[in-house]
Amino acid sequence: MQLVSWLAGSLLLLPAFAGVLCYVVPSSRLRNGFILLTSLALVGATIVAFATGALEYSPRSGIWHTLVTLADIGLLAFFAVMGWKRKSPLIIALVLLQALMLAYLKFGLKAQVDVQPLFVADWLTIAMLLVVGLVGSVVVVYSVPYMTEHDLHLSSASNQQPRFFLLLLLFLSAMNGLLLANSLYWLFFFWEVTTFCCFLLIAYDGTEECWDSAYRALWMNLLGGAGLALAMVLVYQQAHTLSVHDIVEGRANLAAASLPLAFLCLAGLTKSAQMPFHGWLLGAMVAPTPVSALLHSSTMVKAGVYLVVRFAPAFRDTYLSYVLALIGGFTFVAAAMLAISQQNAKRVLAYSTISNLGLIIACAGLNTPMALSAAVMLILFHAISKALLFMAVGVIEGGVHSRNIERMEGLFARMPFTALVTVIGIVSMLLPPFGVLIAKWAAIESSVKLPVATVMFVIGSTFTVMFWTKWVGKLLSISPGSPVVRMERLHPLYLSTLLFLAMGAVVFSLMVAEVLNRLVVPAVTQYYGSAGFASDMPVATETGWFPVLLLFIVLVLAVVLPLVFIRVRREDVAPPYLCGEQVEEVPDVRFRAARDELEEVVIGGHYFDYLFGESRHNRWMNAVAVALLLVMFGVAAL
Amino acid sequence: MSGWLTPLWVVGVILLSPVVGGLLIGLDRKISARMQGRVGPPITQPFYDLVKLFSKSTIVSTKMQLVSVYLYLTSVVLSVVMLMLGQDLLVLLFVLALGSVSLILGAFSVRSPYSQLGAYRELLLLLSYEPLLALFVVGVYLATGSFMVRDIFKMEQPLLLTLPLFALTQILVLAMKMNKSPFDISASHHAHQEIVRGILTEFSGPYLGVIELTHWYELVLLLGMTALLWTNNLWGGAVLALSSYFIVILLDSVTARMTWRWALRVGWGVGIPLAVINLMTVCLERFRAG
Repeated sequence: MQLVSWLAGSLLLLPAFAGVLCYVVPSSRLRNGFILLTSLALVGATIVAFATGALEYSPRSGIWHTLVTLADIGLLAFFAVMGWKRKSPLIIALVLLQALMLAYLKFGLKAQVDVQPLFVADWLTIAMLLVVGLVGSVVVVYSVPYMTEHDLHLSSASNQQPRFFLLLLLFLSAMNGLLLANSLYWLFFFWEVTTFCCFLLIAYDGTEECWDSAYRALWMNLLGGAGLALAMVLVYQQAHTLSVHDIVEGRANLAAASLPLAFLCLAGLTKSAQMPFHGWLLGAMVAPTPVSALLHSSTMVKAGVYLVVRFAPAFRDTYLSYVLALIGGFTFVAAAMLAISQQNAKRVLAYSTISNLGLIIACAGLNTPMALSAAVMLILFHAISKALLFMAVGVIEGGVHSRNIERMEGLFARMPFTALVTVIGIVSMLLPPFGVLIAKWAAIESSVKLPVATVMFVIGSTFTVMFWTKWVGKLLSISPGSPVVRMERLHPLYLSTLLFLAMGAVVFSLMVAEVLNRLVVPAVTQYYGSAGFASDMPVATETGWFPVLLLFIVLVLAVVLPLVFIRVRREDVAPPYLCGEQVEEVPDVRFRAARDELEEVVIGGHYFDYLFGESRHNRWMNAVAVALLLVMFGVAAL
Repeated sequence: MSGWLTPLWVVGVILLSPVVGGLLIGLDRKISARMQGRVGPPITQPFYDLVKLFSKSTIVSTKMQLVSVYLYLTSVVLSVVMLMLGQDLLVLLFVLALGSVSLILGAFSVRSPYSQLGAYRELLLLLSYEPLLALFVVGVYLATGSFMVRDIFKMEQPLLLTLPLFALTQILVLAMKMNKSPFDISASHHAHQEIVRGILTEFSGPYLGVIELTHWYELVLLLGMTALLWTNNLWGGAVLALSSYFIVILLDSVTARMTWRWALRVGWGVGIPLAVINLMTVCLERFRAG
């Protein structure tokens, strides 16, 4: 009991408390110390939670419920004021709707918001806590040097870092709370806190563009919040309980394919930036890079998919579930296709996130044990790789002063460490036998019960190969015989965080059997009876086998042996073929053009904008996505 | 197969596949020549070519190229072995895709306009054939209830009866993967219509030899996958595979290179619909059977 209350306290309150401390402490050195300590403590707390296993906790005092209600009112008031300032009737309407629902719940239905136990951590929660604790903390540490640099570039000289770290750490607290909350009422509260933090963090730089993006994120997430509030009222009307676990485990008297669950899914879809709500996540990249890394990997969007995965057992084998699979599958394909046409690295990453979240949602919609295992695995592995990639792009941006992939040509010669780390991140998203691919394999194998989803998965995966490969190709493209590359100088915190995540991506993929058995299988088995994986062999199912370790060994050897054993002598290096008109000296990549003038070789990348571009596809994609949403509600209402 | 036989079988597969592949390529050149009214080289010519390539001096532009060709070779050999051991088809496909990506990255790793253009074109080809291969695997699953190759051999009826259209998509895949006209857009298999060989521009000597060798393995792999459609006796599969290869050779001789847009349109406008129609019929049949 003692341990549990400490644990719950440190997961829920510690980051928020540290954030407040950061806000009031004037010295930046002291503040940075606090931040590092907090991150370490958070990592420790999540590891303890992992070691403890499933736990339950209810605070003894009832004052917390009152505090949450007051905070809810405060948050809604804040959103209303922001909506008023922006003169946005939509935002005000959404806030009013939420307020109305909460009031109706409190006074109309006289709902009992207290649920016993108030906080529950089952294995799904613990898996998510690990993501937030480990990846989130790494991002926070990374942002210490990043924000110092960032503020130097900022035109407004005012030091906003205290506020930044307050929001960042508050975000982690809210995320932990959202994962642990067993009462929908509390879940709603934490949900709104994440919306709040996200809104202010996107607007951090304060430019016109930032505010535009922030407001877009605000109204879309408020729509999700309104869905959650509606769901809460409907659930209580039908089932007379707000307990998440009662609903999930079927103890509550709730119809499987019902409107409340559809509203819950709507909330999940908005937060996880599924089409047609993907606009806010694309806009969110105007925020400083650590914010993007946090939003895309461990918080915010993962809250959305968490909600859907959490409630998936409640709508098993319903049409609602299948429509959800189609919505996710469609987003998976569409976002992957649009990613091909993007030159902006952060935008490519954003589309890749949207696409992967679509895959997770689709897996939850398929709703078989193995599909759910795939979803949980994707959440874990995607978080590591995506945080790594965003952080790497942040560092690259510091080096080449651009987010444009075209400007990253031959980065291996300029920033070898960062380029290597980026390639590891991309490869861990793209190629076997890394974790994301193993999850994708499980997803495709489990999708055969809904062949439409399979076709979507297959096509989307091909698009994925295309945009990642193009990017890696740009990073690798080097002029022959360039001078020996020397490792770039990086801030030690950059170096350590990037290294940590890159190693994490590799090591966790190597230990995928462990990850499966310790985290994924328990998380899925508790609701589905099995996890779809055969226990005797690592990563095998009844219909297939993924020999992870074997592939790892063979492929690593294939990469390492040539690098170690084949010596390339200087005289063996030849310049590229330029129709015999090249200038002969290596590493000169110039050629004789008309009138014998020497010209530099310029190689532009292909983005196939006319084929896969946003302007060509956005309209119909949004139309299809909206239609699918309507079908989802239609199916649920009937 | 169990115990000590398995390693022996693996070694046998690794050693014999290139012999079969090389002979098939030799046959290909002979048949192509006869179709064009030439005598053509001896069937063993590809082996002489390979020996010659390996005896040339090594010239590279970047070290990444070495990694690229060996990774390409390894992953294709790995997928052939997985096929012959009756392993998971989907994993096999992933490993094969890794090989393609590796070769493409090798072409990207040199700052050369020709090689990079070839790499982009190979990516576009990949966009056309990769879904077809994956849908083929899905079709096999729907027909057999398993992703494992070894379970196909337990079927009483040839798969061709339930998956007839996939025999056609496999022909498309074969033509695209083997760089045959009209799909030879990233490089041409028999360099009959180009001076600069696209994605292969910057590879030479032994490394080009490794790529050539990998192509042989790839040929064996793809024909082996086609042969899965008729596993009930050896001859059925062999005839099916060889006749699809013959069709590809014929196509190669009577057509010229088309644009990548056209290739993409064929892959997506003809290949994928064929595959999806076949998947739908399989589903319908299963549905009717209950």
